Amino acid sequence: MGRTLFDKVWDAHVVEALPGDNALLAIDRIIAIEITTPQPAAEIAERFGDRLFDTSSIVALIDHISPAKDTETAIQGQALRKWAKAHDVVFYDIGNNGICHVVIPERGWVEPGMTLICGDSHTCTHGAFGAFALGIGSSVQCGAMLAGSIIQKRQKVIRINVEGTMHPSATAKDLALTVIATLGFQGGTGAVIEYHGSTIRALSMEERMTLCNMAIEAGATTGMIEPDETTIEYLRGREAQPKGEAFEKKAAYWRTLRSDPDATYERTIDIDGSKIRTVVSWGTNPGESVSIDAVVPNGDASSLEYMDLKPGTPMRGIAIDQAFIGSCTNARISDLRAAAEIFKGRKVAVPTIVTPGSQAVKRQAEHEGLHDIFQDAGALWTHSSCGPCLGMSMGVVAPGMRIISSTNRNFRNRMGTGGRVHLATPVVVAASAILGRIATPDELPAEVHA
Amino acid sequence: MIVSGSVVALRQENLDTDQMYPGKYLSLITRKDLGRLLFEAFPKGRELFESHRDASIFVTGENVGCGSSREHAVWALNDWGIRAVIAPSFARIFHENCYSNGVVPVVVTDKAALDECFSAKTLEIDVDNEVVRKDGREIARFTLDPLRKDFILHGGFLEYMATKVDQVRAWREKAPVA
Repeated sequence: MGRTLFDKVWDAHVVEALPGDNALLAIDRIIAIEITTPQPAAEIAERFGDRLFDTSSIVALIDHISPAKDTETAIQGQALRKWAKAHDVVFYDIGNNGICHVVIPERGWVEPGMTLICGDSHTCTHGAFGAFALGIGSSVQCGAMLAGSIIQKRQKVIRINVEGTMHPSATAKDLALTVIATLGFQGGTGAVIEYHGSTIRALSMEERMTLCNMAIEAGATTGMIEPDETTIEYLRGREAQPKGEAFEKKAAYWRTLRSDPDATYERTIDIDGSKIRTVVSWGTNPGESVSIDAVVPNGDASSLEYMDLKPGTPMRGIAIDQAFIGSCTNARISDLRAAAEIFKGRKVAVPTIVTPGSQAVKRQAEHEGLHDIFQDAGALWTHSSCGPCLGMSMGVVAPGMRIISSTNRNFRNRMGTGGRVHLATPVVVAASAILGRIATPDELPAEVHA
Repeated sequence: MIVSGSVVALRQENLDTDQMYPGKYLSLITRKDLGRLLFEAFPKGRELFESHRDASIFVTGENVGCGSSREHAVWALNDWGIRAVIAPSFARIFHENCYSNGVVPVVVTDKAALDECFSAKTLEIDVDNEVVRKDGREIARFTLDPLRKDFILHGGFLEYMATKVDQVRAWREKAPVA
């Protein structure tokens, strides 16, 4: 019987079948971040003689809060720093770091066929490479640091076929939000989503990462995309990848990681890629999203109340108080280039923050002069951080403030207690920042060149 | 093993972990005393828990624990005294985090049985036999993952993992893929 991409990666990592359809699954890569690693590190030090299974499988970095903003985050960062040094673990410190889901791919630490975990729910991002990558809690991370493996149930696999050429105004984020709206906010629970089809094959690696990043927002364990030449060319020459023959040997294996034509899926969902249009969220979870041309639906009453919205109100035109471009969803160089196109020669109407996904992205953006465009527009250009996405730092909103954001979660209180979040693509955030209301770039007056 | 005690019930679907434990406190590296921060940014939840100081069983709606992987949410619930969560469905990571901390995740999908849980002052959860009782009467049956149930009953998830080290190492040496 044919096997799915997921099956092939899974089967290649099963050490032992365990009761209850569980497997002891070997883990190739552990991303150790400052928020969720000090706890398991302390546990292993206290109870298991500070022995790690394989330090070369671990990559550590200062991720969410960079640099420390207060005593607690300084303690946290220092705990990770000392631990990484003591165990000779690869470590990206402030200045050379960024959001882990941006840094790990750009350094080449994730690759097709790999199993990868991190104590962060958006670890599904790395499935874009055809890896089985999942977010886990600190305890499971502890087990993996100790024994190089996790206990995991074999997953159901949902196939999502997306065919057709995307409209020029549609982005991978719009596709991601469309998938969530189609599956439902918990429609993917207990399953892996495999994305297939011509639309997916045409996506760049950065776009694939944006798409897979939001698999968790449909409840899915992860998203996965078959590796192809786009994947291989992205990884070629990256820091953690070998060169020459050794790389070609790996690439030859990666090319075999395809879903068999007769592979069976728990279910298959077809999406017409040519019909994807700009999507924006109205409610308090990413499933509560609609076309930007739609009106606020007669949805969940408590979501409407929290968001202070009335059904029937056009999404376009909702006044905003702040705008944010950043996060593991949409802060890679292609996102910043797209946003810069919109900001160029224009001025923001509301406080706007642009936060690159990594320091490498920051440097590239500055090399291209994008930082001047953002700052000429009146936006705040920062260093890399998770920032206000999860309400931790650098631009958290006040109660009642409405923010349009290129992030992945519009939960209540997420970007600040009492804050109201509308999820959108970088270009929609940029256009909205300029007009002070939810808007698309085509609503903007012609560029004003100074 | 029996988990019995008073119930705190919050009728809400998609109760995400940002509500249970705000992101701004992810800066703490301790796993202790986090109950003081439980629902800190979500007044409705906080007030409810404040008025149920002695609760040990938390009943809530579908997709509990969705969103962030932060185990802090379960550490905070546990510190409050919560020993079991009853809901019609659990988000994957939160589900696992409950098991990891000995908090019994009880899936009750039957609407009538769930209503009984919501309206209960106290409940009794018989973990060995996978039964929920109210006033001595069985109101629901549930299923636990057999392996993880064993960790709840006898502890030792990490001790179990530690026993696997040599086996995983041996497997690694033979593994076809680098």
